[in-house]
Amino acid sequence: MTSNNKLHDSGDRTRVELPKSATGITGFDEITLGGVPTGRPTLVSGPPGAGKSLFGLQFLIHGATRCDEPGLYLGFEGSRADLAADVGALGIDLDALEQGGGLLIDAQTMEREAVQTGEFDLEALMVRAAYGVKKIGAKRVVLDSLESLFAAFSSTPEVVRSEVLRLFRWLKDQGLTAVITGERGEDALIRHGMEEFLSDCVVLLDHRVVDEVATRRLRIVKYRGSTHGRNEYPFLIGPDGLEVLPITSLGLNQQVRNDRISTGVDGLDEMLGGEGVFRASSILISGTSGTGKTTIASSFADAACRRGETVLFFGFEESQPEILRNMASVSLDLNHWIEQGLLHFHCERPTTLGLEDHLATMQRLIRKFTPTMVVIDPVSSLSRSSGAPDVSSMLMRQIYYLKSAGITAVMTALNQGGTELEHTEMSISSLVDTWLLAITLGGNGERNRGMYVLKSRGMAHSNQIREFLIDDNGVSLIPVYIGPNGVLTGSARAAQEAAERAVELGLAQESGELAAALELRREAVEQHVIALRADFDAEENLTGRLIETSKAREDALMLGRQQQGRQRTVKPETGP
Amino acid sequence: MSSPAEPHTREGEPTAVRLQLTLFVSGAAPSSIRAVRRLREVCDRHCPDGYDLDVVDIYQQPEKVASRGVLAVPTLIRERPLPVRVMIGDFTDEQRMLATLALPASKVD
Repeated sequence: MTSNNKLHDSGDRTRVELPKSATGITGFDEITLGGVPTGRPTLVSGPPGAGKSLFGLQFLIHGATRCDEPGLYLGFEGSRADLAADVGALGIDLDALEQGGGLLIDAQTMEREAVQTGEFDLEALMVRAAYGVKKIGAKRVVLDSLESLFAAFSSTPEVVRSEVLRLFRWLKDQGLTAVITGERGEDALIRHGMEEFLSDCVVLLDHRVVDEVATRRLRIVKYRGSTHGRNEYPFLIGPDGLEVLPITSLGLNQQVRNDRISTGVDGLDEMLGGEGVFRASSILISGTSGTGKTTIASSFADAACRRGETVLFFGFEESQPEILRNMASVSLDLNHWIEQGLLHFHCERPTTLGLEDHLATMQRLIRKFTPTMVVIDPVSSLSRSSGAPDVSSMLMRQIYYLKSAGITAVMTALNQGGTELEHTEMSISSLVDTWLLAITLGGNGERNRGMYVLKSRGMAHSNQIREFLIDDNGVSLIPVYIGPNGVLTGSARAAQEAAERAVELGLAQESGELAAALELRREAVEQHVIALRADFDAEENLTGRLIETSKAREDALMLGRQQQGRQRTVKPETGP
Repeated sequence: MSSPAEPHTREGEPTAVRLQLTLFVSGAAPSSIRAVRRLREVCDRHCPDGYDLDVVDIYQQPEKVASRGVLAVPTLIRERPLPVRVMIGDFTDEQRMLATLALPASKVD
């Protein structure tokens, strides 16, 4: 609750915005960036039973207990006893608050059964407001509700209108932060000519039934001079009063964690860059049924407990004993973590409550146990609890909430058979940081589990499909066989591995024989070379001798010619 | 306007409780002054045995305004006889006023 003040401060710092008063309503102060406008009236409208009075009372109680702003409640609907009973169920003691001087309840009215006999005005209302404000030094005022005021004087609405306008003017002049409730919203205001006084901030509470599930929605129709969340936000009336879901601010400004945590599955950490996933990131494990999603999620939880961290496990399909028994069969002993107080289970049928109730329960438990990890198994069944199309946006905000709280979120999602595997019903996949896809690898009359990392932001991760083994020794991931015949798993992988070993052996033998044959051939070739060499040597010898003989004959011939020549040259000098 | 007193009206009945009224007015506002005047007139006329009238100025006794849950002025509360009855307005509609107070209607009207 103190964070509201902080938010309030930061709102003032960032921009010159109008000052705001925190309402203390979980979530509302976040989407309005601080609460209702200080010193101005805020209209809270909605059908009967939508929680308008509670909104007003929470606003006053928060002011009295946390902001040192006393508050006056002016009610025209029920009696004080009714009010006390309403909020008493929420653990709020109105008497104690009144005795402390932080609150004044003025809810007495007797005009409902009054008979009109002539002219009148609502000066007494004015006097009551002034008296109450003065008595406790009120800074906050609630008028509950406009409709009952008009109903009390139904025959003279114009009198009520002018008197109410006078009251609003007075509230504004006094600088009082007011919450005024009304049933019909803006149209009625315009009809009553009050819109100029109630247009600073208009909040709409809605209560409707979608697919047989009652859902409450809150929307800020208008907030003059301030940014605010414009969506319809689901809310509920829980043990702590109104809660708007989930408690997230509008910005993407959560802290980033760089430390990594182990997944608890042998081989999975290696696939995720060797270190596991980032702390406070969100992990989605999706797959068809029977692919081991719960087991993987439990391994995450087990690993966290081993590190001495607290884990909150939300089961929407199996009961706690079932999960414990099933995990014990694969050597995951979760029971002793429960005994040590590290692991908390909350199992519930998704159809018992509406989605917002589930989310609110989750947030309450998260606040209670302050876990470092939350497991939601499976997140997809939450979408079945509500047919509303805003499931994904609500889950989205839930994920943001977990992230901003620094909680690691491990979610499983069931893919319906036949749908694309890399597609989740709730389209939350774009939000998750690490997405593990559990698949079945079929063939050879077997069905084996496989897994791969579809994405993992901010880290190197394996592109492999690994076979995922669940046996008595727990869970582990081993590389699958990928060969010329495709991906093989299970006994086919075992068979293929055996076959491969056999082939390797055979190849070794064959190459030995080939080597021997080669050796033989080499010997033969070498002998052949020797023989040829010998032939060549003999030939060379013979040729050398023949060359010598021929040279001798040539010399002899040369000599003979020279002698002949010498004899002839004498004769021609004595010629004719 | 005036009519003869009818002392027998409530005398024969067992509920001979003295009429007890509280009137909330806002100071010297015209409608309040009118209301006080008309109320006294009617009661004097219809209750010869007397009646109790407590006129509360909302500015003087605001805590009483809140504790009784009064919003409009003038507001008249018939405290006795029970049940408590409430009227708002300046009693222009005298018939309704008499009916609510369970006093007999004025014969002149």
